[in-house]
Amino acid sequence: MSNHEQSFMSKYIFSTDHKVIGKQFLWLGIFFLMFGGFMAMLIRWSLSHNMQPLPWWLLGDILYQNSPVGVGIIGPDAYNQLFTMHGTIMIFWAITPILTGAFGNFLIPLQIGTEDMAFPKLNMLSFWTMFLASIVLLASYLLPTGTAAGGWTSYPPLSTPVGGIPGYGQVYWTLALTLAGTATLMGAVNYITTIVRFRAPGMGYFKMPLSIWGLFLTSILNALFVPIIAAGLIVLLLDLVAGTQFLVAGQKATIPGGDPLLYQHIFWIFGHPEVYILILPGWGVVSDLLSVFSRKPAFGYKMTALSMCTITALSGLVWGHHMYTTGMSPLLGKAFMFLTLLISIPSSIFFLNWLGTLWKGAIKLEVPMLFALSVMWVFGLGGLTGLYNATITADIYLHDTYFVVGHFHYTMAASVLFGGFAGIYFWFPKMFGKRMNKKLGIIHFWMSFIPLNIVFFNMMVMGYAGHHRRIFDPSVFEFLKPVLQLNDLMTTFAFLLGIGQLIFAINFVFSIIKGKKAEKNPWGASTLEWTVDYPIPHGNFESIPTVYNGPHEYSNPKVKNRDWISQSEKI
Amino acid sequence: MSFQNTWRWFKCTTKKIGGKCWGIWFLDPPKDISLDGYRIDNVIQYTDGVILFYFSIVVLLMIYFLIRYRSRSGHKAEYIHGNSKKYVIFSLVMGMLVFLTVDVVIEGMAFKDLKEAFWNFPKGPNVVRVEVMPQQFAWNFRYAGADGEFGNEDDLIPAQNQMHIPVNTPVVIQIAPYDVIHSFFIPNFRVKVDATPGMINTMWFQATETGNFEIACAELCGNSHYRMRGFLTVDSPADYQKWLNSLEEEGEPEEDDWGDEDEDEGIPTYWGWAWKESI
Ligand SMILES: [Cu+2]
Ligand SMILES: [Cu+2]
Repeated sequence: MSNHEQSFMSKYIFSTDHKVIGKQFLWLGIFFLMFGGFMAMLIRWSLSHNMQPLPWWLLGDILYQNSPVGVGIIGPDAYNQLFTMHGTIMIFWAITPILTGAFGNFLIPLQIGTEDMAFPKLNMLSFWTMFLASIVLLASYLLPTGTAAGGWTSYPPLSTPVGGIPGYGQVYWTLALTLAGTATLMGAVNYITTIVRFRAPGMGYFKMPLSIWGLFLTSILNALFVPIIAAGLIVLLLDLVAGTQFLVAGQKATIPGGDPLLYQHIFWIFGHPEVYILILPGWGVVSDLLSVFSRKPAFGYKMTALSMCTITALSGLVWGHHMYTTGMSPLLGKAFMFLTLLISIPSSIFFLNWLGTLWKGAIKLEVPMLFALSVMWVFGLGGLTGLYNATITADIYLHDTYFVVGHFHYTMAASVLFGGFAGIYFWFPKMFGKRMNKKLGIIHFWMSFIPLNIVFFNMMVMGYAGHHRRIFDPSVFEFLKPVLQLNDLMTTFAFLLGIGQLIFAINFVFSIIKGKKAEKNPWGASTLEWTVDYPIPHGNFESIPTVYNGPHEYSNPKVKNRDWISQSEKI
Repeated sequence: MSFQNTWRWFKCTTKKIGGKCWGIWFLDPPKDISLDGYRIDNVIQYTDGVILFYFSIVVLLMIYFLIRYRSRSGHKAEYIHGNSKKYVIFSLVMGMLVFLTVDVVIEGMAFKDLKEAFWNFPKGPNVVRVEVMPQQFAWNFRYAGADGEFGNEDDLIPAQNQMHIPVNTPVVIQIAPYDVIHSFFIPNFRVKVDATPGMINTMWFQATETGNFEIACAELCGNSHYRMRGFLTVDSPADYQKWLNSLEEEGEPEEDDWGDEDEDEGIPTYWGWAWKESI
């Protein structure tokens, strides 16, 4: 493919170029990250300043003007809508588009050395389906009764017409999520085909960067499990609009044979792999970046890749650990607990290899490296606290408490987000041809890392003290009185965390407009994307490169004058 | 207030063990007044310990490496791949070590506790049986009455949201909701069980102290989920009997002297089921 003339529309809007689509996903993801993050601020305000009007800086003059509990005040209905949409948006509209959509699209063809995705038009369709999904989701905010309010898990019967939540918010939610799933599925098929069929000559599976391994395994999980949740969502949609009662039972059911528990199985068969769908690309990126900034090959590369494969395989077999309190059969419960605990073996190997990469390196603390290192911290805490939830007895107490909320904010929010930030800071020069401001980056890092830990760790503290989830006003309960004072502290630091992300947004936009021009390979990295000049033409490489080296050729003594060599250079 | 808490947390993490502070937590869970709650506290405490141990190793090594191997003039990274057989064996051994010291122990504790306590349902004439039907947004309770059978005319139904049990006596509940999924959570006993439409779930517990304790709904069930609060009174056997007798009298059941001022949610006119013996 040559650099032929293109109209603005086909170049920037309906482009089939994977790099443009990657950036489109990035913008969409960052928009929803801000949107969902703002909702988190509202949730925090409501928890620490229950039934008090929002201040102007939380848009108190614009939001909730028709609130039934008072102008500018978040009531219980609005609160339920907030946490429902916060979860949905952060997982499916912020993290997935950034990690899988943006990095997947931008990196896969460049890092494996090919011109574009296997199916460029399907790729474009994937983004525009996601765009449509976003419109449906945002449209639900315009409904007079508001958005969905059944939690991001939307368990029936609460999420069906017998649940008593008024309006069509749930219908929009279900439709939007089905569309988003379709978009993800299109992407997954494309990524898998591209990686299997279009690797440059010499690029064996074990010469792929670990980011590609992560994206590859994520896509396999998406292709296997998104259809399952899609089926569940369609059944839920039928219950919502067609009068069926697949997921309704008990005294509210007028048709026999429905089963609410069926939905929980369907949801978590997808839902647990979803955790790994989110985190695998992050792990890959972190493993690569630790190597780049330690100027040393990724320690135990093969073991890392195989550990990722093992975790991927196990992730499909453990969904029952979300359902210990549903009255699950003892034998099944024990099996799920055992399988869940097995995950700690590959995870330990992971951490060993990350430490091994640092060992005897020459570590440079650039901004991407700070974020990559912080993933070791937050994922360490997030992964280890999973042990409590995997343990049936401990989970009988901790299930559906803030402990779980804290745990999955560490694994899904913190680890994935920090992995994502590491990637954005790292590949920004290749995406936009500019450097991001390092000082602002460091401020952003500390304004993220410290407040985030204070907020998320205290969620677990609250949960351990018995604070159950999704509670509009915890002061109702006597046993939660000792916990209440923590809410102020957490809210303060949550706002700091929010301000920190504004610094990132400013840095991001200003660097695109006014940033210093980036040289071709500013980090001295050896993967293929750094061998092409910015702006990368449609078709990427002048001629398809041949790969001779592994993805982490740093400090090879045979290379003179510099401490890296590209994958496509002969030593 | 919040800063005092933070300070307390630092003090706790540095001194604790045997003291009042628990594991890595600076807020204690609600007082355990149950026969088997200690089992759950123990497994959590063990997990606290091993987590702290392994997490510290990772973080300390990370910080040490960051300082020792920082990039500086004259210092070069070593070209090591870590793919040798020696290393593969080392990492597998470490993985197994973690599995044996953490997972196997926790699993052993959990399975033992389930077998001895949580899944070992008490039998016999002294067991107190209660049927529970949560609804949006209240708790309904039902006691068997003189004939010992559920689902008939002489069942005893206390005022909404009010449950009484005798101290030092095993209590078995069977629970099925009226509308959506709820979850019966008694923090002072460390246990909870979901109530899912279409199925009857069961759980048992035993109080070791008398007093007033709260029942929370742990599963999101609608806009007033947050104030779905039940009142569990643990009575001495004599008081419990007196309370049961008061229910047998005609007319409106007596209200507890503690409880909420909420209106009744409107109890469905008939509910209750024949006690399921084998679940
Ligand atoms: Cu899971
Ligand atoms: Cu409830």
